Parts: sequence; C-alpha cells; structure tokens
Amino acid sequence: MKRTPKNIFRQGAIPASFVGESIAKHSSKTEIGAHSIFLGQVRADEAEGKKVTAIEYTAYEEMALEKMHEIRESAFAKYPVTCMHIYHSLGKVKTGEICLFVFTSSPHRKAAIEACNEIVERIKAELPIWGKELFEDEGYQWKVNN
Amino acid sequence: MKILVFGQLTDIFGGSFVRMEDIPDTDTLVRKLEEKYPVLKRMKYLIAINKEIVRENTLLADGNEVCLLPPFSGG
Repeated sequence: MKRTPKNIFRQGAIPASFVGESIAKHSSKTEIGAHSIFLGQVRADEAEGKKVTAIEYTAYEEMALEKMHEIRESAFAKYPVTCMHIYHSLGKVKTGEICLFVFTSSPHRKAAIEACNEIVERIKAELPIWGKELFEDEGYQWKVNN
Repeated sequence: MKILVFGQLTDIFGGSFVRMEDIPDTDTLVRKLEEKYPVLKRMKYLIAINKEIVRENTLLADGNEVCLLPPFSGG
C-alpha cells in the first residue's frame, strides 16, 4: 500500500481530548491488541534563575513532512504495526501542555512499543523543527535536544 | 540568491532569509557568509539543497532552495 505524506503539524497544543478521541477511533480495528503512546509535554525548565513558560515551535515544514514520511515508511517496513499517528505542535505551547503525540498500534505489544520509541527518537534527531523557550519576562533561549 | 534560515540563525540574520550574490557552490556560500557574519563560525548548522542535506561542497544552480539548518530541537 502506497501512503502519501501526511501533515503532522497542529497549531498550538495538542488537547488531551484529541488523544482520547484518537484511541476511541481504533475500537473497530479488532486485529489490534496493543497501543503504544508517547506524549511530549512542555517542561518548566529553569535557566539563570528564569523559568520557561512556553515553547514556540517553528519548522522547515516541507522538509519535515518529507522526512516524516520516510521515517513512517521505514517503521512500517521494519515493524508489524497496524497503524501509526504522529502530531507535532507549531507555534506557542505553554508548560504543562502536549507538543508531541506519537501513537502506534499492532497485534502484539512489542512491535507497537519499539516502533513508537524509534519514531520519537528519529523525530527529535531528524526533523527540522526548532523550539524557542520563552521565559516569563519575555526573554528566550533556543531549546537544545539531548 | 535567497537563502532561508531557521531557529537560532534567524537571530543572526534578523529574519527568515539572507540574500547573497555570486555563490557558485556551498563552500563559497559558507566562506562569504562567515566573512559577513563572523558569529556564524561558532555556530553549528547544516546546509540543505532542495530539502536534502549536503555534507560536501555542492554546486548551486538557479532555482535551488538553499537553507541553513541549526541543530534540530523538536519534541
């Protein structure tokens, strides 16, 4: 089956209700026996005594979507997963809110867990997305991924 | 030639792109940019041509989409 690139980007935070609805949509896919979900939440880091209140995300969108398509195809080829759904925020996401949602499903747990983990790692390392950590006093610093 | 920049590089160039003239290849691009913006020498970034990252000197043609990408920090 040939899959076309999907838009993973959402403006602002990913609502918890959206995550719940995504899970519910899978109840008719009865070949699934396991779901694995990763949720990235914006953390209130501190730097030089100042607290991060939000992260503002920007991306080189076309390249990110092409790269994400490649990552998705390679995960489908490598793991027996039934489906995978990926969403990443753009724009401002406040601390405590969700900025990344990766959701994989498979007949048995191992494939779902491993695929989910690999996709998260590759998103962080390979997608041209940048986070600007905004401080309470309007200053900022650029986020660094470990 | 218009070069798109992202992330922390937008602070250096004061916006989302920089214009450079007479740039036959990526080595020349880096040399000229670093002459004009010395702070770039201390920054890490990759060059992408038409959404593909290039790691060796590469010829540039009219119509190429050239981008400077600082380290990614999504998620």
